[in-house]
Amino acid sequence: MSMLDIWLGILQGLRITAAVTAYGLVFAVPFALVFGVAQFLTTGLTRFLVTAVIEFWRSSAVVVLLFVFYYVLPVMGVTLSAMTVSALVLGLNSGGYASQAVRAGLQSLPAGQREAGMALGLSRPAILLLIELPQALVAMSPTFVNNLIQLVKATSLVSLVTLTDMTFRAKEISQTEYDPVAIYSALLLAFFVVCYPIALAGRWLEARVNPERGAPHGI
Amino acid sequence: MGFDFGFALSTIPIIIGAIGATLLATVLSCLGASALGFTFEMIRRGGGAPGLAVRFLIDFIRSTPVLAWLYFLYFVMPVYGIRLGAMTVGIVGLSLYYSGYLAEVFKAGIDAIPKGQQEAARALSLTRRDTVIFVIAPQMLRNIAAPLGNYVVSILKATPYLAILAVPEMLGRAFDIASETYRYAEPLTVAGVLFLALALIVSYGVKRMEKLLLASGRR
Repeated sequence: MSMLDIWLGILQGLRITAAVTAYGLVFAVPFALVFGVAQFLTTGLTRFLVTAVIEFWRSSAVVVLLFVFYYVLPVMGVTLSAMTVSALVLGLNSGGYASQAVRAGLQSLPAGQREAGMALGLSRPAILLLIELPQALVAMSPTFVNNLIQLVKATSLVSLVTLTDMTFRAKEISQTEYDPVAIYSALLLAFFVVCYPIALAGRWLEARVNPERGAPHGI
Repeated sequence: MGFDFGFALSTIPIIIGAIGATLLATVLSCLGASALGFTFEMIRRGGGAPGLAVRFLIDFIRSTPVLAWLYFLYFVMPVYGIRLGAMTVGIVGLSLYYSGYLAEVFKAGIDAIPKGQQEAARALSLTRRDTVIFVIAPQMLRNIAAPLGNYVVSILKATPYLAILAVPEMLGRAFDIASETYRYAEPLTVAGVLFLALALIVSYGVKRMEKLLLASGRR
């Protein structure tokens, strides 16, 4: 097999990598929005509970979390496909990180924004939806792009729960072809080709959103 | 076959027994990643062809998953006659992967130091090495305390990846129990809880140290 054949062979796993990412976002985006906003708005015991849920998903090691859910749910009588379990765990882990960006974005808005909304007689939900969230989400958009890159990279873990993503394909090819240098270089290159354009888009966004920050930092 | 709590409890001491390997991998990877990341940032700052090469390397590392790097190092190094134990490969892999992130942390830390500091060092005709050691590094340390602490926790949460290379850290030990007893749910849940507790404790400790460091630097 030539280097190109190996690379194309690995790219056959791109469909699964993309599917897990997209399916993961289905969990990540609502979680980040709901829990980020909830952590911002609530106080006392409610806030403690919201924080506990976020910390569970955010502070757990994602490798361990994936295995725990993959092996424990069936014992509890819940049978989900490997795809759903992976998307759930990777998505909520990523959503946990993003929720902190949502909260930080909301907290960093000047109090005058909310007060102006109140002066106009807007209700609290209206202030949140029309004034606070749009500004916070735009300001934090480069962070969300970073979270997306982390999610794409974390999908490499699904190869450990039988899904045939790019990483799994690399291991499959290495069983018939002894050429670790070519195979694993190709795997790194495959992820680079997917993630680097997203990183560049993130930098562009960063320069648009925070022009005064100067030199872009990214990925 | 339900979840056997008695069995789960019986695995706790065995899995905690491997905490030494988890902590050793964390500490050595943090040191390796810091040293490598700082070196990368210094070369990048130096500019020229090496600067550009390192700039690309950092982007490449950040666009590729840690799991792919671990496979790459584990299978590729022996081809070139470099035979290292799984633990060493794991530490090298985590160091390399996180050096890409820490280089950015060092960059931000250095960028935040007022330009007059370097100019003053030049005016005093300090060498470049002395400037870095006595002028830049001490001030940078205070700027990077918070993000560096976060990466310590991230690296801790990445150590269970080493279980995939059969390193007997906590997750690896849990898998050993699982394959001996054919019961996966209990040992993996225990590993999950232990990793979460450890991450929360280290995260708390890191925040405390950060506060002490910042307080000691205040005039």
